[in-house]
Amino acid sequence: MSDTLQTVGRMIQEVIGDDWDLDQPITLETSFGDDLELESIEFVSLAEALKVEYGDEVDFVGWLSTKELDEIIQLKVGDVVEFIDLCRSSN
Amino acid sequence: MARILFVVPPMTGHIQPTLAVGDALTSRGHECAWVGHGEVLERVLPRDMRALTLGAAPDGGPWREELERIRDRAQEVRGLAGLKFLWEDVLIPLAHSMLPGVRAAVDEFEPDVVAVDQQAFAGAFAAREKGLPWATLATTSADRQRSLADLPRVLAWTEERLTQLQVDLGLEPLSSPENSLDCVLVFSTAALAGASDAPPTTTHFVGPALSERRPTVGFPTDQLAPGTRVLATLGTLNGERGGRFFQALAEGLGGMDLQVILAAPPDLGPFPANFIVRPFLPILDLLPHVSAVVCHGGHNTVCESLAFARPLVVAPIKDDQPVVAGQVVDCGAGLRVSFGRPRAAHLQQALGRVLNEPDFEQAATRVQASFHKAGGAARAADHLEALLS
Repeated sequence: MSDTLQTVGRMIQEVIGDDWDLDQPITLETSFGDDLELESIEFVSLAEALKVEYGDEVDFVGWLSTKELDEIIQLKVGDVVEFIDLCRSSN
Repeated sequence: MARILFVVPPMTGHIQPTLAVGDALTSRGHECAWVGHGEVLERVLPRDMRALTLGAAPDGGPWREELERIRDRAQEVRGLAGLKFLWEDVLIPLAHSMLPGVRAAVDEFEPDVVAVDQQAFAGAFAAREKGLPWATLATTSADRQRSLADLPRVLAWTEERLTQLQVDLGLEPLSSPENSLDCVLVFSTAALAGASDAPPTTTHFVGPALSERRPTVGFPTDQLAPGTRVLATLGTLNGERGGRFFQALAEGLGGMDLQVILAAPPDLGPFPANFIVRPFLPILDLLPHVSAVVCHGGHNTVCESLAFARPLVVAPIKDDQPVVAGQVVDCGAGLRVSFGRPRAAHLQQALGRVLNEPDFEQAATRVQASFHKAGGAARAADHLEALLS
């Protein structure tokens, strides 16, 4: 498991206020809509947590603000991991 | 004396706050009427309040089936898919289907002021067409500007739906047509909902409008046990959706030294011996007898609990509930737990904390004080009267 996935998984757990079952780990394929049912306000909390972790290096709010409603509904954890890795490798 | 018309959507929680405002206006000699879906008004509106029911449903039949379809689907979708559903399958079709009946009600009742729920767009359009003074009733403080501020494309998507709606109805498309430029009444306070960017001269935080008159629900008060008591309700959620949560609640709170008064379908049991379970509960009557509340984050339930300075454990399900739950956590009056993946241990721990750590009750008391200061239904009536001049 990549470090980024582990970090993002931990933050999602904090945001949704839940211990994730071990038989249902957060993977790259976990979707924010169908699997996690994340609400708009929880995306915002996740953005805040990512900012604390990665600072200005990762502009999750800016990235999310370019997404249409349907894109956000279909967003997977892997998309966020990929975005974070891309930001960090380009710096 | 003036005539005030309330335009309400078919959602109990949105109608309830208008009852107290209507009573305040009636006691001042004004005449009030409500326009909405007969099936819902019949259930929520006291007999002496005047109901103007909408005509037939769009297909010519009764509204009941249409409303049941919405209710069933609405319990299935959560997250941002729930937001999409709310707009595409509930709010926009509702505006189309309500408008003819609202226009007819305006013609029949000839109101001097129209008080329109923030989600009953048809009322805003009818008032605008007739050039009548009107106010927006934000019966929940979690409006789209507030909850979607950080998702601008999603906010823009809701705005596009409203623009298209106005075009389809042959109206000049205005931005934020659901918000009156003269008066928006928010049934919350800054102490709970947080600071607002809304224009302060026309946006008034009046606090919750709790109605003294509500459907009588019997409760066997002689079954209340001595010691600590807790109220638990998930609103009007069906048993199937709430099953896992109720189970975790039974498991987590069953072993605690307190009595749980739970609103749940009775066929969901068995529940532990320290539970009293009823399909419906008289929340306002029970609040004085409990020390804390476990709920889904419905705006009315949260405000009612805080009006009694009761701290909360909130398990938000959908719509505005995650925002309201966030408000409760941010103001310090409670904790949030997961509804979708409920854990008995979490529920027990969260409830233990809000009961035993005095900070939660102190924060709830601060919000209670803000409600008193805000003025509630009487203040809302003042603002509606001010539109008459």
